[in-house]
Amino acid sequence: MVGARFLEAMFVIGLLGSLGVLLVSFVEDAETLFDMEDKGHS
Amino acid sequence: MASFSPPTVPGSNRVRIVVATSVMLTFISYWRAAAVVLCDLASSAYYACGIAEQAVGKSAPWFIVGVMLFSFTVRAIYVESCSMFVRGGVYKVVKEALGGTLAKLSVSALMFDYVLTGPISGVSAGQYIVGLINEVLFTADAHGWIPRAVHGIFHGTPQFDVNLTSVLFALAVTLYYWWENIKGIHESSEKALWVMQITTVMVVVLLGWSGFTLFKNGFQHVPLPTPHNLHFTDESLGFLRWRFPGQSLPQMFGILGILIAFGHSVLAMSGEESLAQVNRELAHPKLKNLKRAAIVIALYSFIFTGLTALLAVMLIPDSVRVPVYKDNLIAGLAMYMYGPELMRLVFRGFVVLVGFLILSGAVNTAIIGSNGVLNRVSEDGVLADWFRRPHGKYGTSYRIINLIVGLQVFTIIASRGDVYALGEAYAFGVIWSFAFKGLAMLVLRFKYKGERGWKVPINFHIGRYEIPFGMASITMVLLAVALMNLFTKSVATVSGVAFSAVFFVIFTLSEIANKKKTAAYDKHMNDQFQLLQRDTVERESLSIRPGNILVPVRDYNTLAHLRWALEKFDTREQDVVVMSARITTFGAAAYELAPDQIFSDYEQTLFTRAVAVAESFGKTVSLLVVPAGDVWAAIVQTANNLESSAVVAGVSSKYAPQEQAFNLGRAWEGLPEPKRQFIFQVVHPEGGVDTFRIGPHSPSMKDEDVLLLHRLWLNITREPGLDKLHHHEILREALTRFARDYGARDREDILKELRRVNSEDGTEASRSTPNPPPLPVVHRESDDGRAARRDS
Repeated sequence: MVGARFLEAMFVIGLLGSLGVLLVSFVEDAETLFDMEDKGHS
Repeated sequence: MASFSPPTVPGSNRVRIVVATSVMLTFISYWRAAAVVLCDLASSAYYACGIAEQAVGKSAPWFIVGVMLFSFTVRAIYVESCSMFVRGGVYKVVKEALGGTLAKLSVSALMFDYVLTGPISGVSAGQYIVGLINEVLFTADAHGWIPRAVHGIFHGTPQFDVNLTSVLFALAVTLYYWWENIKGIHESSEKALWVMQITTVMVVVLLGWSGFTLFKNGFQHVPLPTPHNLHFTDESLGFLRWRFPGQSLPQMFGILGILIAFGHSVLAMSGEESLAQVNRELAHPKLKNLKRAAIVIALYSFIFTGLTALLAVMLIPDSVRVPVYKDNLIAGLAMYMYGPELMRLVFRGFVVLVGFLILSGAVNTAIIGSNGVLNRVSEDGVLADWFRRPHGKYGTSYRIINLIVGLQVFTIIASRGDVYALGEAYAFGVIWSFAFKGLAMLVLRFKYKGERGWKVPINFHIGRYEIPFGMASITMVLLAVALMNLFTKSVATVSGVAFSAVFFVIFTLSEIANKKKTAAYDKHMNDQFQLLQRDTVERESLSIRPGNILVPVRDYNTLAHLRWALEKFDTREQDVVVMSARITTFGAAAYELAPDQIFSDYEQTLFTRAVAVAESFGKTVSLLVVPAGDVWAAIVQTANNLESSAVVAGVSSKYAPQEQAFNLGRAWEGLPEPKRQFIFQVVHPEGGVDTFRIGPHSPSMKDEDVLLLHRLWLNITREPGLDKLHHHEILREALTRFARDYGARDREDILKELRRVNSEDGTEASRSTPNPPPLPVVHRESDDGRAARRDS
């Protein structure tokens, strides 16, 4: 039971932190995306 | 003339060997890199959704969407990993962070992932193909197109055994790619890009048509991913079904149920690890292009895999979705579109065709990836060199390829065509290789002090310590899922642990054996050779004079061409450079090798023999090792950088001399300017020599051609104002007109006439190569170097 609770806690805290990473990354991703027009195929 | 330095270390007898550490690769754009990764990642859409729904019930698509969103963050870990400037293979890097034992387990998990990619992709492709064939037979029978006699044989509508036929198909595809890899097919990003273009057409039609169908037919609701909506089977609860019978677990724990369901859906992001494998080949600016490729990959797979999973539940009726289409869900989706049956069947055919391309491509990627990883592990010193010994004829690491394909064939047969069981086992390798990667990167945040181009965001400081909150969060999710899967995926846990244990033992024993060998190797190395590390091959920094002779060597038993070169050339006048190209296959590794890995015991034996040959002539040679993606590109690039006047090679066991020259000529064409011409000489074992010129050169002309030109010149110079005309001006005008006609209306006539002339000439070279290459850069000469009568 303790193990299960520990896994749950890891999962929930991890998911919340990952959500934060996702949101912060979106800003950088958008910048990278809008800078994509040059040299597509080489 | 540049000063000549002997290749021995001053004041000692040690031979100096220059090791270039930057791989000579043909760099690719981020689109191509994304296509290579997507060929693996997007192929998961064909089976991941069906497997997830069988395990957790109708709300599975939400978990697939969740996993695809989470894959955006996993991608960030790989980008950070690739932005680190380290040398070595995955073992060396993980060992740095987690120590030898966990590093071996990590590589074992990665191998399990790669080995399972082949069987699940092959069997899944078989399921789609057999599903289509059976559907076509069923439809044909419904229309009365199948004769009664056939009915009699099959006791009803002819149908193939889906699982058995899928196994046979998977075996055929695997064995086909086994042979291709043994032969050493040149894998390019071109094919991956082409496959992804076709896949994109299918995805656009699929999404567009599904949208129209939703509008016309309405849809079924996809239950929200709450514990109440989770319906686990005994199989999907794994070992927990004994501890908590009656499927009460999700309701009891709530979030734990969500974690179990997430673990059953994690398969959807399998293939993400391939991002690291294409990193080295990315064009400049590397990091920016890596990020671009990563975004393209994440968005594409989110749209394809995530939306397809949702649409499948929304459009395919519950009564048939799992019972009939669980192993070919996208085919089922095609059959429940709005429109006539024939159109739907045709689209299903297209879905199956794309599935065949992308999934069989994944079978090949799995063999290439496993081969690359095991080669690196061997280079890292934890797999015996015995495995890496090159094939006598093709030069490939055939023992590793045999081992991988042997394991894949065993897996395919053992699975009996059950995609669910394969998916369960595959998930073990996928999640544990991700979890180890995350853990290693987390530890390296504190241990690695070198260059790092980018960091996973959300980092804050407490005192002088940086806390990698983002990285820790992602790793926590990966570890929680991996640990949970140990309990819920019994097949995966048993097979994964057994597989990892076997590989762990192999790695440990190899490491012990290698340690003894390494001691002897180091002593021999220190006594005989001195490694000089250079980033790139430059003539001045290597103290080699222009006009030198480059002698590529590969097999230490066939050095006749080196003997010939040493006999023919005076090394006081011209340096002889012995070069070994260390080939690293396309898409095989994230990091470059360290110098001592590039110059392994095989190269040591090879160069010991080469030095012995040189000493028998009382001459000195310069020794060079270059890592390369393609041997031909490596030779021409080295010859160009060293300003070599000639390249002397032995006869290949794989190619005729003309084909060798053709490949070299093609690689020469791909070189950036400025580039130099050189002579290419192929020495036969019995002593004959074929000579070719690489690069544009004056063609040899027949007497009658010279006569025709002269007669034209005589006639034209009689015309007023043309008395000072030169022969070459007539030739230039004639060629300009010829080029104009060839590019316009007379192309076919010209080709027809040239074919006639060519067949009349019937040169020896054109007989040995039925389709002579359309390259103007290779010119064959006779044995003594005089221009032959005809161009080849």
